[in-house]
Amino acid sequence: MAQIFPPWWNKLPIVAAIAGALGPTLAIAGVWYYFSPWYTDVGYRPVQPVPYSHKLHVGELGLDCRYCHASVEVSAVANVPPTRTCMNCHQVVKRDSALLAPIRDSAASGRPMRWIRVHKVPDYVYFAHNAHVAAGIGCVTCHGRIDEMETVTQMTPLSMSWCLDCHRNPGPYRRPVSEVTNMKWTPPRDVQAAQFDRPVNPPTDCSGCHR
Amino acid sequence: MSTTSSRRGFLTTLAGAAAVLAPSRRASAEPPAVHRWGMVIDLDRCTGCQACAVACRAENNVPDAGPTNTSKGRSIFWMNLLTVSEGEYPVLRQQFFPAPCNHCEDPPCIKVCPVGATTRSSEGIIQQVPERCIGCRLCEVSCPYTRRYFNWSHPEWPEEEREHLNPDVTPRSHGVIEKCLFCHHRIRAAKTAAQADGRSLKDAELRKLPACAQSCPAEAIVFGDLNDPESEVRRLSESPRAFRLLEELGTRPKVFYLREAKWQE
Repeated sequence: MAQIFPPWWNKLPIVAAIAGALGPTLAIAGVWYYFSPWYTDVGYRPVQPVPYSHKLHVGELGLDCRYCHASVEVSAVANVPPTRTCMNCHQVVKRDSALLAPIRDSAASGRPMRWIRVHKVPDYVYFAHNAHVAAGIGCVTCHGRIDEMETVTQMTPLSMSWCLDCHRNPGPYRRPVSEVTNMKWTPPRDVQAAQFDRPVNPPTDCSGCHR
Repeated sequence: MSTTSSRRGFLTTLAGAAAVLAPSRRASAEPPAVHRWGMVIDLDRCTGCQACAVACRAENNVPDAGPTNTSKGRSIFWMNLLTVSEGEYPVLRQQFFPAPCNHCEDPPCIKVCPVGATTRSSEGIIQQVPERCIGCRLCEVSCPYTRRYFNWSHPEWPEEEREHLNPDVTPRSHGVIEKCLFCHHRIRAAKTAAQADGRSLKDAELRKLPACAQSCPAEAIVFGDLNDPESEVRRLSESPRAFRLLEELGTRPKVFYLREAKWQE
């Protein structure tokens, strides 16, 4: 009569011990990496060719976001301004600053500045700034307090689950369209945010953002 | 008698209360799908010029297969112009037949996908996620209309065409399935524009929204919302000339064809 337990069953405790040790370790390592800023790039702060300070220009001088990022309301892309926009002021303000030399060169030669992109999503994600502005999603909701940043830093994970948190329940994240660029806006205590504007129906289908 | 009437009164009150409560509750949870996209193709108008197929190829970055792949039957068509011959030589009749994805209400391709790479959107479009696709081609086999195509090679374009790729559509890579998506990027753009203006989508702007419908010189292709009782596509889909392909399969396509003569498959 054949044995009920063949000889390889002797190895079972060792295999079970290795699997028992390896499984939780991998699970912890996975969460450690994929749920952390190493993966989501929160805190990414590249050094730009010119140390442009949003804290000075937006926070202290009070420039509106749309003075430079002019296409944000009409286009999917919130443009990086041409150096001509910088020169509107800087042909009179700080004309001789050494830090601004690349800007002056760029404006003179017509070659665009090589700014380093901070907020990146994969190429199969089609994010539209105009749709979000029209729906009353403030700049600060995704980009953080830009008016307090010396160097622009990525403040949010820009991951799909993070997008879907709002797409499934946009109410708490909305504000009146007139307050979109206001960095310090807080919802009034007595009014529901959803009542400010017409209702929105953000897509939760794959094809809403992916093509 | 009095018991009955009081019970009826109670039930009426209950029903009234439910009617008042129910819509508000549903509205706060999830609004119902407003749109159900569909297409009508008038075969009596189609002249077989293939403008729809060319426009689709340009709009959706569908690569040319090249001579080797074409000879193996591996070229990709999101919109293809098929021809059907009817009758024998003396009384021969040729029917041109534009064939996009049928966007079935009950599609077999979704059921067979092992990784959930193809799904039905809330507005009825059968969407494809190339990043999830593992290239098993079960959906290609399951589609009774053969409207799914596999990328047998890395997509390549001639040098002069590379500058003309549509930036709104990602080219699909080697080893995944692709298909017609009813130009959903155009639908999304139209919705964004409508939202910015604070209005709802108008049927007039939807009729020629997809590239195939826009390019059709005979205006044989009409696109629109089948849920909208006023829409052109709804009116045509209820025409006595309307039929759908392989209706006996129960896939309930949302692409309707119009033809005066009876269609024989």
